[in-house]
Amino acid sequence: MRELRIAVPKGAIFEDAVRALGAAGLPVEILRDNGRRLVYRAEGAEFIISRPTDVPVFVEHGAADLGIVGKDVLDEKGPNVMELKDLGTGACRMILAAPESRAEEVREAISHAEVVRVATKFPNTARRYFEGIGRQAEVIALHGSIELAPLVGLAECIVDLTATGTTLRENDLTILDDISSSTARVIANRGSYRLRHGDVAALVDAMQASGVQSG
Amino acid sequence: MVLPICVKIAVLMRREIPRKFTTTPGTRDILPPESTRLWDVQARVLRRFRAFGFREVVTPALEYSEVIEEPRLRDASFKLFDPDNQMVILRPEVTTPIARLVAQRLRNSPPPHKLSYSLPVYRRSGVGHGQAAEFHQAGVEAVGSTSPAEDAGAIALLVDTLESLGLRTPDDFAVVLGQTAFYEGYLRTEAPEVAPELLAALAAKDLVRVDELAGGLADEVADAVREIPRIVGPAADEAVLGRAERYAVGEAAPALANLREILAHLEAYGCVEAVILDLGLIGRYNYYTGAVYEAYSPDLGFTIANGGRYDNLLQRFGESMPATGFAISLERLLSVLPAGVAEPLLVLVGESVESTRSAEMLRESGVRVLHLAENAASDEAAVYAESVGAGWICYPASDGLKLARPGEEFAIVAAREVAERVLS
Repeated sequence: MRELRIAVPKGAIFEDAVRALGAAGLPVEILRDNGRRLVYRAEGAEFIISRPTDVPVFVEHGAADLGIVGKDVLDEKGPNVMELKDLGTGACRMILAAPESRAEEVREAISHAEVVRVATKFPNTARRYFEGIGRQAEVIALHGSIELAPLVGLAECIVDLTATGTTLRENDLTILDDISSSTARVIANRGSYRLRHGDVAALVDAMQASGVQSG
Repeated sequence: MVLPICVKIAVLMRREIPRKFTTTPGTRDILPPESTRLWDVQARVLRRFRAFGFREVVTPALEYSEVIEEPRLRDASFKLFDPDNQMVILRPEVTTPIARLVAQRLRNSPPPHKLSYSLPVYRRSGVGHGQAAEFHQAGVEAVGSTSPAEDAGAIALLVDTLESLGLRTPDDFAVVLGQTAFYEGYLRTEAPEVAPELLAALAAKDLVRVDELAGGLADEVADAVREIPRIVGPAADEAVLGRAERYAVGEAAPALANLREILAHLEAYGCVEAVILDLGLIGRYNYYTGAVYEAYSPDLGFTIANGGRYDNLLQRFGESMPATGFAISLERLLSVLPAGVAEPLLVLVGESVESTRSAEMLRESGVRVLHLAENAASDEAAVYAESVGAGWICYPASDGLKLARPGEEFAIVAAREVAERVLS
């Protein structure tokens, strides 16, 4: 049988993912070569590198057996995958924020159930949040630089992910509400989880241990 | 005569009627050889269902929307309105329509009702999700029996069917078996207050959430709540159910006993080796009440087939009857089957009566013959033969038949020897 194929996300949680896989005894050093390769074959595992939002897609379709991805992405996309482990790393918060100067105004508008415009990379999460509090929003989906939207009048507020709050502060945005919190999760394809349960469970257990140590 | 008119219409349409002449999102035309394989596989699957005494039924593509209760299936259905302004849906699955059929049409015949089907089902699918809006399901339903032998019989039939198509276990497929009533029974007995949340988390396949919820429980219960959904392993390995044994308290005890009985019957069927136990598998639909199972292939990230026991579904239709069954997704099954060898096809070329006579004579000798009733030259005939997947070209000749593979030299062959050559 072929080696387990693991989807590793680029970006913020890349380092956490590599560390967890390394602690589980996998030869992850090849992933740090900064090259443009997308597939790395090593003894005991095969790695693919993808955008974080694509990790669950590869795993759901069985193109990867395992993946590491933020809970925020899982909440947003709702993929049909097994969610096996919380690595405890890559912690960040999903927040509702508005420009400092207009924060009160936006807060008032929301509390009066007026329709507010929200810019976000997480349209499903934003819609669910507003539905959950019984308020109305017009959700505008963007792919990046969400903080820009309220500064130029595209939206009144944003739903976005923040780890330290630095970007929010730099753009004079203030947090109106906490929506959820997120950490890095280990996910598995439904078939791989069952057909190769021994391999998958052993690897995931080893990764858990590392999460506890570093987190 | 016909051809020029068609061409003219096509030209007119392209110029004057700008419409979308593609198939709608998620649907597709299926062409040979794939369509041939699809019908072949369907026929072979139905033959295995018949060998176990299941009889085919056909239900309408349209059902009243009230027939389907399962929220996920209702959301995914195509909906339309009939002339009485009632909402109808294109069937998103066949199990519920068959439950309706049994309750309405067969309530006066003695159970169990063993029915099978192979029908297209329809589900709305977003573009970019790689999911079909129309696909074929072939399945069986055994209605009117609570016996674990029926659950085992259905699983054995699934294994038998997959093996009859050339798949081998464990390399090509495995059936994963769970029991929804085991975890549910344990929770109802030991942690009733968090049972709904835990079952929802497990249905979402979110073991992290299961662990979080377990954190609020007494140690011993918390360990069980975390452990049970992680009991996964070969059914042939006694130790797997051994791990479950200590959690078989209260309502969980009969569920585990049921699983053991099913395994005993599977042993008798000789197919325990094909089964992997997973006590975290609780089935994708709410209507499942007992044993549930899914078939997986290492070559596919999705299930090939899924099924289980649904003892409460028929109540909605006024008949309280237990039932169990499964559905195979034929397109997915096809994608993991080894490419079969197509039956040889011969193109017989010629417009003459002699050609017609030769074609009929060859068919009687068992050869599949496509009669190209035109006086086509051999190079044209070769191109045509390739396009229809024919391995042989044949012309009538004065002293027998001219026979060749496309692109090769013709040889004169006595008429009675053609079948022998083509079919060998």
